Amino acid sequence: MNTIYTVSNNIITSLGFSSNENFEALKKGVSGIKETSDPEITQIPLHVSQVDSERLNNEFSHIGNPADYTRLEQIMILSIDDAIKQTDINPESDETIFIFSSTKGNIDLLERNNLSFGEDRIHLWKLGEIISRFFHSPITPVIISNACVSGLTAITTGAQLLRKRKYKNAIVCGGDIISEFTPSGFQSFKAISPQPCRPFDANRDGITLGEGAGTIILSSEEKHAEESNPIIFRGGANTNDANHISGPSRTGDGLYYAIRNALADANKTDKNIDYISGHGTATPYNDEMESKAISWAELEHVPVNSLKAYWGHTLGAAGIVESIAGIYSIQENCLIKTLGYSEHGVSKRLNIITEYKETTIKNFLKTASGFGGSNAAAYFSQINND
Amino acid sequence: MENIISKYCIIQNRKVIVDGETQFEDKDNLEYGKLMKSIYKHYQIKYPKYFKMDNLCKIAFLGSEILMHDKENIKNIDPARVGVILQNTHSTIDTDKKYTNTIKDKSNYFPSPAVFVYTLPNVMIGEICIRHKFQGENACFISKDFNPEFITEHVNELLDEGKMDACITGYADYIDGKYKAIMFLVEKNKENRKDNISFKAKIIKNLIK
Repeated sequence: MNTIYTVSNNIITSLGFSSNENFEALKKGVSGIKETSDPEITQIPLHVSQVDSERLNNEFSHIGNPADYTRLEQIMILSIDDAIKQTDINPESDETIFIFSSTKGNIDLLERNNLSFGEDRIHLWKLGEIISRFFHSPITPVIISNACVSGLTAITTGAQLLRKRKYKNAIVCGGDIISEFTPSGFQSFKAISPQPCRPFDANRDGITLGEGAGTIILSSEEKHAEESNPIIFRGGANTNDANHISGPSRTGDGLYYAIRNALADANKTDKNIDYISGHGTATPYNDEMESKAISWAELEHVPVNSLKAYWGHTLGAAGIVESIAGIYSIQENCLIKTLGYSEHGVSKRLNIITEYKETTIKNFLKTASGFGGSNAAAYFSQINND
Repeated sequence: MENIISKYCIIQNRKVIVDGETQFEDKDNLEYGKLMKSIYKHYQIKYPKYFKMDNLCKIAFLGSEILMHDKENIKNIDPARVGVILQNTHSTIDTDKKYTNTIKDKSNYFPSPAVFVYTLPNVMIGEICIRHKFQGENACFISKDFNPEFITEHVNELLDEGKMDACITGYADYIDGKYKAIMFLVEKNKENRKDNISFKAKIIKNLIK
């Protein structure tokens, strides 16, 4: 099987418009979550992480006409554009496939009954078509809508396509925006915290939503990778809890199977993992389930965090932006603290990262879980380690 | 060895076709909900959760029930090695519209969790997994039309790499009263038989003509 290199990336969230800007904020412990009473989004005050609209408009106008693209399309196109500019990979080649992940796409058009972009524009296949056309891709893109694990499913699918040598490069981009749809839905479930979320904490009481996009470019060609010790995708897997459509497994079995299968895919037989980037949504059930799965996988000793208190739960982008943060943890040899966590609140003893720490990081495991009982895991490492 | 279609089911144009044979046909011009219910009854399915499902989940669920009917051998496979991988075109726009109606009027604002939970297309996969305890590979792909090339390549690779032993796969879609399910039970080939149908895009295109 050929090697899958992570070549370049971008993150756009409330914390900035590049991966670097975002990761600098994480290192300093800065959160982008703010309270809003915007009536377009919520009927009651809500904590949420939003992309700066003015900056979005300014930055996008350098590469396209903002009037021709929806908010989500602008965020995703900008994210991809920045990631492409860092490489010499050609998006117009038939050897480069685009892979998109989103839970709700242009859902704001439906809510506002906005037909100015045409009736088709609310559909996810159209979102993929618009974005891949912007970059003059000659290939039909792959689109994934797998709830909160969408981003990780997109990365594992991209890697799968490169392993089979069907394509040489995969531009994997995930994104979702905040409109009234998602906050009101999670509010109806009483799943949103009145404060910024507190992953794995004893007093956690729900999620904080976020918007944004993440792009990760994968390639099977060594020439596109960094010269010394590039970070590679080793393996990944997707599973199902088969328990409940809106609640996680009580035992953690589905996520445990995802971790087990991802490590098997990576041919990793030891437990020497330097870091786990958890899902950690801060709902009582999710974090408890995750602790059981990590314990079941005998990884309780591994430093683990959740980044949700920095940029919220970014849904279709989450698996990608959090994987990129993991890549930065390797490149900068540091671990980001779990913002919002103070008192241990899950039944298993996890090694939760409570302070920013500089230490050698050679690999990491990324996990995610979501509605529909979906789970995913992926393992990344430096090429000369593991 | 090639992977084979051990059963296939097509639900469209008021008909249920299983392995090429029309097993159900509606001649009363029933509306979608009633049509699905009569298919449910025809196959003597007993699963009360069905009645809570949204329109997309209903057709995908019925397709999977028809595939699994009399397939006792699948029960001998480790359920953690049975995957459910589906394609869809219109995501959950039908349910999204219903949900949006519950939040439109601010003086009558009742977002419904029971509707909201069905606003993700992969929930149809979750429903099938719950029914049979399947915990293997999962993914929901969105494409403008049913794309047999992509789905056969993806599913065959996962089977060939030993990541699963069987898979419920194919396509399910619902929008504005229009519906279509083209679903397959795909297994690893255990014995070479003349009537084996390999899980290939070209063959599928012939089956659905």
